Amino acid sequence: MDYIRDYSLVFIFFVLPIIFVIQPLFLNKINDFENHIDLSSLKRKKRLLYRQIKELEMEFDIGNINQKDFETSRKELKVEVSEVITKINANKI
Amino acid sequence: MTPIAGAVALNLAFGFSILSIICLFIFTLNEDKRLFLTGQRLSLGISFFVFLATFILWYQLIISNFDIDYVARYTSIETPFIYKISALWAGQSGSLLFWLFILSIFATITVLQNQSKHHGLMPWVIISLSIIQLFFLILTNFVTNPFMPTDADFVVANGNGLNPLLQNVTMAIHPPTLYLGYVGFSVPFAFAISALMNRDTSTLWIQSIRRWTLVAWLFLSSGIILGGWWAYQELGWGGYWAWDPVENASFMPWLTATAFLHSIIIQEKKDMLRIWNMALIILTFTLCIFGTFLTRSGVMSSVHSFTASSLGPIFLIFVFLILIVSFSLMYLRRSELRSEKRMESFTSRESGFLFNNLVFVVMCFAVFWGTLFPVISETIRGTKITVGPPFFNQINVPIGLILLALTGVGPLLAWRNTSKQSLIKNFTFPILSGLIAAIIFLFIGFKGSVVISFSLSVFVLATISTEFKRGISARTKKFKESIFKALFEMVSKNRSRYGGYIVHVGIVFMFVGFTGHAFDKEKEFSLTKGQSDHVAGYEFTLLKLSETERPNHYAWISDIRVTDNKGEYVTNLYPEKRIYFHKNPDVNRRQPHSELDIYSTLNKDIYSIFSAVDNENGVAFIKIMVNPLVRWVWIGGYILVIGTMIALWPRKD
Repeated sequence: MDYIRDYSLVFIFFVLPIIFVIQPLFLNKINDFENHIDLSSLKRKKRLLYRQIKELEMEFDIGNINQKDFETSRKELKVEVSEVITKINANKI
Repeated sequence: MTPIAGAVALNLAFGFSILSIICLFIFTLNEDKRLFLTGQRLSLGISFFVFLATFILWYQLIISNFDIDYVARYTSIETPFIYKISALWAGQSGSLLFWLFILSIFATITVLQNQSKHHGLMPWVIISLSIIQLFFLILTNFVTNPFMPTDADFVVANGNGLNPLLQNVTMAIHPPTLYLGYVGFSVPFAFAISALMNRDTSTLWIQSIRRWTLVAWLFLSSGIILGGWWAYQELGWGGYWAWDPVENASFMPWLTATAFLHSIIIQEKKDMLRIWNMALIILTFTLCIFGTFLTRSGVMSSVHSFTASSLGPIFLIFVFLILIVSFSLMYLRRSELRSEKRMESFTSRESGFLFNNLVFVVMCFAVFWGTLFPVISETIRGTKITVGPPFFNQINVPIGLILLALTGVGPLLAWRNTSKQSLIKNFTFPILSGLIAAIIFLFIGFKGSVVISFSLSVFVLATISTEFKRGISARTKKFKESIFKALFEMVSKNRSRYGGYIVHVGIVFMFVGFTGHAFDKEKEFSLTKGQSDHVAGYEFTLLKLSETERPNHYAWISDIRVTDNKGEYVTNLYPEKRIYFHKNPDVNRRQPHSELDIYSTLNKDIYSIFSAVDNENGVAFIKIMVNPLVRWVWIGGYILVIGTMIALWPRKD
């Protein structure tokens, strides 16, 4: 019985991890990688830009930036967001 | 689990780390995703085998398998269970395995968390992490293997046991916390290297690692505070910070990491300081490795060096490699790192942040120089010059006070430029508060840096409360919310900002505690039963001197009654004199240890040390220290942790 237990442990702890690691090498070539990459990073960028706009509004409300800087910065951020959204839509299609 | 399985697991992890680096490097050349997936899984495989090896060593420590040299050196049959667990990081090979274990946890989280994002950055992130793992795997496989069998040609019946200084609950927590901090900076460093390799030096890598950096900073800060707490509770010299090389080793990366946490805000918001941020995170990680080197190499004499070894040169080579490779990469990418934006005004938040960064780095350099000077002087001139606390205090107290002032100034400055009217409006209340406080403290009789420190603390607290007030009133006006709802919404929607302010409150409290050191009093005396002595207006009377035998030591316990100058009862203190390994027939291997007792209040600590005992005549040699405001340091530490947790708390979006 000890024999079986030892071999089972060796299989679970040493052989299975090796199989898990080399398994992707036997897959067919994967092609949708780039699209997937772009979309996830673009969505993340969009979320971060929205957050930056909210923070900017907060800074303005408490008086840390003046009206002129607030408007310029918000405009820049909004242009950036719309560019990202356009890219996301293009990628979805 | 046999120990051989642990050694094999480390061998396999070593092999996997090399394969992971090769697979992912080829992927960066041919972009065959199968290689990326294999490299990713190899990275998970490294971590799996490291986990396996660590759990096997832990199991061997618990079952007291003294056939393994490490187990025999750092535990004994009498060692309590918790210290058998903490023995993993008591010695050199175990602590290096533990470093690797934590790094593997972080590497696994990084890989799993980024399976569907940052595909551009991830290959080099994993390569960088695997290289760091490879370094520690080389050490644990070939230099100091924790699974080495004992040299003895007989059955080892019992081990040496753990150093008594390490038999303390704080010491069971402090090293892992510190290691979590040290190792945590591997992830931001890996992202920085990846950004350089990918020529993507925009804000993306900064945004990816902000949370990681905060987590690592939280652990490093907690580790440092816990270390101070341990020193205060256990070492018996009445302080919590001695500018010891190993303490400095943890403080240096903390300084650069704190600077980094501030300057990445500038890069995120203004896309400035790209080169500076890159340099800061590289320095922080390098200082973390350097810190491990200082702790583990034995090159410095320190109360914290529980091991001495020949690992120094290997660590130094690794430190230099990191610096050479990272800064060469930065040089090669200098055109991408150049920011088009410039500081527009001296009175802007950007310049406030930059100035604070410079002060942090200057302080780090001062600590670095003071720490290494004895080694450098010994190498060059052959004579060791000791650089002690007076040097560090002389240099760092003024720098620390400048930093404290900047903590207050920064939030009051506007982005890009602060108008004259805003400067007057924002600074009037905090400056007035600070000045009034200074006058009151001078009137009380305080002098010099004590007055400056206390008044700056008031100034910073006034600044922070102003910031909260401005935020709340903006919300109450805009959304017609009640004050409490506005406060809650404001903090929960701007967690990093207000969490940061709460951290600043913690820092202020800690400064208050540090300043209390100026009023410390101490006295040593001997007492027999019924005798009394006086320190700082308190009377100390020895009521009883008893002795007892516990599983891993023998103890003399003093019972000291403390009364104040009006004769009113304050507390009873029970400091102990202990002898560890008291059953060991070899008298030289028995270890004496003073277990302190501390009566702590917000105002002051009464710190008692049972230095020695004259058993025949029933005399206890006692040292008493009255340390004002020490508790504020620990309260500040708690607030710092709470503030960082708020900043870290995930958003719904």
